[in-house]
Amino acid sequence: MSAPAPAPRARGGVSRARVWSLVAVPLAVIVGSAVLGAAVILLSEPLIPGRQFDPLLWLTAYEAMIQGAIGDPQEWAALDFHSLVSTLVNTAPLVFGGLAVGFGFKAGLFNIGAQGQFLVGALGAVIVGVWLHDAPAPLAIAGATIAGMAFGAAWGFVPGFLKAFAGAHEVVSTIMMNYVAIQLLAALVSGPLKVPRSPQAITFDVGNAAFPVIPFLQPNGHLGILLALIAAVGVWWVLYRTTWGFEVRATGASPDASRYAGMRPRLITVATMTFSGMLAGLAGVCVLLGVTKSMTSSFGTTVGFDSIAVALLARSNPLAIVPAALLFGGMRAGAGLMQIQAEIPAELVDVIQAVILLALVTSPVIRRLLHADTRGSHGTETAASPAAEAAR
Amino acid sequence: MTGQSGTIQAPALEMRGITKRYPGVVANDGISLEVRPGEIHALLGENGAGKTTLMNVLYGLATPDEGQILLDGEPIRIAGPADAIARGINMVHQHFMLVPVLSVADNVLLGEETMANRVFLDRKEAHRRILELGRKFGFEIDPEVKVSALSVGWQQRVEILKALYRNARILVLDEPTAVLTPQETEEIFAVLRRLADQGHSIVFISHKLYEVLAIADRITVIRRGRVVGERRPAETSEDELAELMVGREVQLTVDRGTSHPGRPMLRVSGLEASDDRGHPMVRGVDLEVRAGEILGIAGVAGNGQDELVESIVGLRRPTAGAVTLDGANITGHSPRALNEAGVAYVPADRHRFGLILPFSIADNLVLTSYYRPPYARGVVRDGESIERDARSSVERFDVRTPSVTASAATLSGGNQQKIVVAREFDRELKLLVLDQPTRGLDVGSIEFIHKQVIAKRDAGTAVLLVSAELDEVLEISDRIAVMYGGRIVAVLDGPTADKNDVGLLMATGGTARDGAQIAKASA
Amino acid sequence: MHLSKRLFALGTTTAILISACGGTAATPSPSAAASSAAPSAAASSAAPSAAASSAAPSAAASSAAPSASAVQAPNLKIGVVTDIGTLNDKGYNEYTFKGATDGAMAIGAAAPQSIVPKDASEYAADIKQFVDQKYDIIVTVGFNLTNDTVAAAKANPKIHFVGVDQSPVCVDPQGNPDTTFACKGDAKTLLPNYTSLYFAEDQAGYLAGIVAAYASKNKSIGAIGGTTLCAPCVRYIQGYDMGAKSVTPDIKVTAAYVTNDFSAAAFNDPAGGKAFATTFISTNKPDVLFQVAGKTGNGILEAACQKGIYGIGVDVDQYVSLGAATDPTYGCIITSAEKHVESATSQAIQEIAAGTLSAGDVLFNANNDGIGVSDFHDKASMFGPEVTQALNTALAGMKSGALKTCPATGCGDAKTPLP
Repeated sequence: MSAPAPAPRARGGVSRARVWSLVAVPLAVIVGSAVLGAAVILLSEPLIPGRQFDPLLWLTAYEAMIQGAIGDPQEWAALDFHSLVSTLVNTAPLVFGGLAVGFGFKAGLFNIGAQGQFLVGALGAVIVGVWLHDAPAPLAIAGATIAGMAFGAAWGFVPGFLKAFAGAHEVVSTIMMNYVAIQLLAALVSGPLKVPRSPQAITFDVGNAAFPVIPFLQPNGHLGILLALIAAVGVWWVLYRTTWGFEVRATGASPDASRYAGMRPRLITVATMTFSGMLAGLAGVCVLLGVTKSMTSSFGTTVGFDSIAVALLARSNPLAIVPAALLFGGMRAGAGLMQIQAEIPAELVDVIQAVILLALVTSPVIRRLLHADTRGSHGTETAASPAAEAAR
Repeated sequence: MTGQSGTIQAPALEMRGITKRYPGVVANDGISLEVRPGEIHALLGENGAGKTTLMNVLYGLATPDEGQILLDGEPIRIAGPADAIARGINMVHQHFMLVPVLSVADNVLLGEETMANRVFLDRKEAHRRILELGRKFGFEIDPEVKVSALSVGWQQRVEILKALYRNARILVLDEPTAVLTPQETEEIFAVLRRLADQGHSIVFISHKLYEVLAIADRITVIRRGRVVGERRPAETSEDELAELMVGREVQLTVDRGTSHPGRPMLRVSGLEASDDRGHPMVRGVDLEVRAGEILGIAGVAGNGQDELVESIVGLRRPTAGAVTLDGANITGHSPRALNEAGVAYVPADRHRFGLILPFSIADNLVLTSYYRPPYARGVVRDGESIERDARSSVERFDVRTPSVTASAATLSGGNQQKIVVAREFDRELKLLVLDQPTRGLDVGSIEFIHKQVIAKRDAGTAVLLVSAELDEVLEISDRIAVMYGGRIVAVLDGPTADKNDVGLLMATGGTARDGAQIAKASA
Repeated sequence: MHLSKRLFALGTTTAILISACGGTAATPSPSAAASSAAPSAAASSAAPSAAASSAAPSAAASSAAPSASAVQAPNLKIGVVTDIGTLNDKGYNEYTFKGATDGAMAIGAAAPQSIVPKDASEYAADIKQFVDQKYDIIVTVGFNLTNDTVAAAKANPKIHFVGVDQSPVCVDPQGNPDTTFACKGDAKTLLPNYTSLYFAEDQAGYLAGIVAAYASKNKSIGAIGGTTLCAPCVRYIQGYDMGAKSVTPDIKVTAAYVTNDFSAAAFNDPAGGKAFATTFISTNKPDVLFQVAGKTGNGILEAACQKGIYGIGVDVDQYVSLGAATDPTYGCIITSAEKHVESATSQAIQEIAAGTLSAGDVLFNANNDGIGVSDFHDKASMFGPEVTQALNTALAGMKSGALKTCPATGCGDAKTPLP
């Protein structure tokens, strides 16, 4: 038997509950993770012989982290917003990556290969960027960006195709593709793309293809930040305002029902993975053209993996991905100052991030803890897997 | 009936003023219920009326916001299922909680073994008790037989046995007959009657009126979380109960009228199809459905009906044969092409195939038409026209919902099916394919859907109805085709078909006369 | 000590580190090396590092005299930006930081702070953190930070930048990092506030090769590098090859690299290194194995000891840092090819305080005790005086410039076949 029929006054209550569940869980997760991080600091302090025990070290650490992420009033008074800008610089690729993973979740696909798509996206951008390094900037930027998108898309297409037509699970194939990307990057950067005279593996600079700095985001807030915002709105629009987005969400929520309704889940799978790969590729473009501007063989970030946490925290909502990415980007930006002022290693950020991820993966459990007695009305609809959960 | 005597006994179980609220919904609103020893007490209500919530309260799965539970006159608090069982309250769920690979004895002991105050199970003792209980209540069963080898009816008896083994005094059965054949239903009723005679109290949850009248000593009807009446079978009728349950007068059987068949609309010839594992399931089916008639396909589940339907609506590629629609060959066409050609399809499992539960009602209403005007211009969806049309559909098809933006999951089963019906029926159709369109629905919804089907027929649509519920096929079909072993073994005239004849054809695949002979021979 | 930096190491490495680097006695700064090496030279076969310091100390070495005599500059703030990974990597990151700590102590300054970047896109931002916090000396570790360090040096002429292993410094005529490697600008004059410390790893490898050749009985020795992309690793192995062949011309030297990229497998995967080396040993049958693979290399040494062959450590005296005297897991280490990152960094900081540090590329080699091989410890009896003799001869050749320890073309390039 199904849930009781909603009484007429249900609407207000349900939507309040919905808002609560959307905000409460991420909030609880973030606060809980910060508390756990503080506990880790407190507990490990005594393990260090000779160190004076400082019961407020965790406060110093978080203060420094926040200051590193947003700056301080003195700087603001001097119109110096470099800390905020550096948070934005860290945020932009996470937005792209989060959108990539989140879009996959919406279609019921777990694109764990954002990392590989990120790398080849950057690779595409550096190849064309170097090639067009002295072309007019708009042309060079567009060329390198499109190349990166195309590379990322190709990297997403392959697992999508394998999933749709060979039944290969996308988690496995995207992980494999990550390794291929790492090796491809290493081979190209130390081979054909290497600056011939350089003693080490590094490519040429992308020159004019580099993202320009946005005038009011000095010193280093580049075009990619703007593109990330546009992408978030764009992906939201695609998902919720286009027929294709409808198909993607329908396939994710119920592949059977969408097939019965005349949609073609296989093609949607391929298209979704391709689009997701393109977004992850853009994250790579964003880092390469906006930050590093050339590629060393050590190029590689954890953006691809952090993106999974971002997408989960935002429950795959493209607009919610922006604040989620800001949180992670800010923590990253603040990690430097935290290391200097509190002498806490950057690994603390990893700890907090890991706790957040872990908590999100178990979020159905957390949701149950938050409002324990909803069995029979909403509890029964709780999805079993985090991916399906995120797909809502 | 047997369970009651002239003196009024103290109730074995009493629930007083139970109120249970969920966010936005009052599932139980001051429900009171008392069950006397040796009484079979039916709890009657439509889906979503609050029956399950009430039983969850009784079983300790939900904590009531108000009210109390008394056992033998003593107020108690039930902490959970284990507590309920310890107090002699047991529940037999609609979906059995049995482990198919284990034996009857193992299943009965499952969970019990931890309560036994010893290290090793005393299987000999368990066997003895199982046999004894079976003998006492009229269903002896071999404790060593594997549950997977038992029929559904016997599996249910194992569930009851489990409860009795735990010394249940109060037995709650949630829709126990939903999965049973008419014969099995009668057998289980006999068992329940015996249990009651020996002093057990039984709460029988159902929405089937004739069953309730047949078995219960008292009937409590609930609607929208409230008790709306208490009756004794002798004092009431199906019509009155239905009216109490639904809240208005209902027509229990729809007047199918007379059909005026037109030109052949659907023609299936020499159709063969295999299931997903490649086993041939449809082995050469020929059939024809004319415009303005309802062809019902009767058959025991698994005789190729699913594959036949899927082949017709484009979800399965037939291995041989042809399907034509209004003279045009549509064999192997995609679901979308068929949809555009005027074929509508109501799948059997609305949760899995008919609806996307997390999506809004409006989105579910455009699940097959989202991509074309007026719901989309190019690739851009037109949310306004989607919602406008949704509001009108919801009104016309009487879907009870606060808003078309509410998710389909928040609706009751009947309202959910109304959305599928609204989506599939609400346009010009050549062919309407219905697979178990009223499964699990309440009386009111069944009435509504049957009326819609007949209206569609009268508008000149060819209707193909597949149902495992023989009653439904008999009730609204103009012609009845019986499917057995992947073939159509007989086609009968709907209004004159005899239930027993069709039943035998379904079971044996023989002709009616063969069937009658078989019946005579076995008698 | 800078203990908070170890908050998360949770003691896994602390003990070893303290024994390896806790006091000045173990620090391979020239002065300390001289004092610690003297007894061992007297006691048994002369340790090569003793040979190095007993030779005429270079100007650079002498300027890094005992800390008491260092120029005091207590107000200098020193920051270290490491490469990706962790601070306690028992390699570059760690020894640079230790060197910075030693240098700070020597000049009476506050202990240095560090930032460990999470990924390559963070280098510039992390350097900027120190700039913003008005640090006076910023040390960056590893080639990957070269361009960002050079750019920061150009933008902040008042801050001293010290890059470890960032040579050759290559700038365009304006002093910007030159990614085309045309190197038209003169870094020394354009960026007087930037110094790159680099090392002649091939010389250290050469010395290790000599020891390996004397230790080998079956005329087959091996070397495993972390990744083909690490030029210093390749130079170690190229020198090792030439050094071994200088002793036994027909010796078979086999080299392999764990991976072709900068993934964790290269320098951060002991288990992977052990598996890789086990296969390597059974395939190539060397009886001495030289590891140039950071933490991955620890696994390589473990495999060597388990398979009953000799191991040679890298960068620091791994017999000491891995506690081989008490832990049989690493008991087969006969020596280590040393690269004195720690003392080089410490020297650089002291010279900045004294105003004597030269800009541009500063090479650390045999001439300024920038490289060496470790004491033989309990394996000393294996090696006769001829080994010490050979090492001293080689060192003398390196100092005079007569001895070549790396192929003339393709030095540092893994694709160059071993001769």
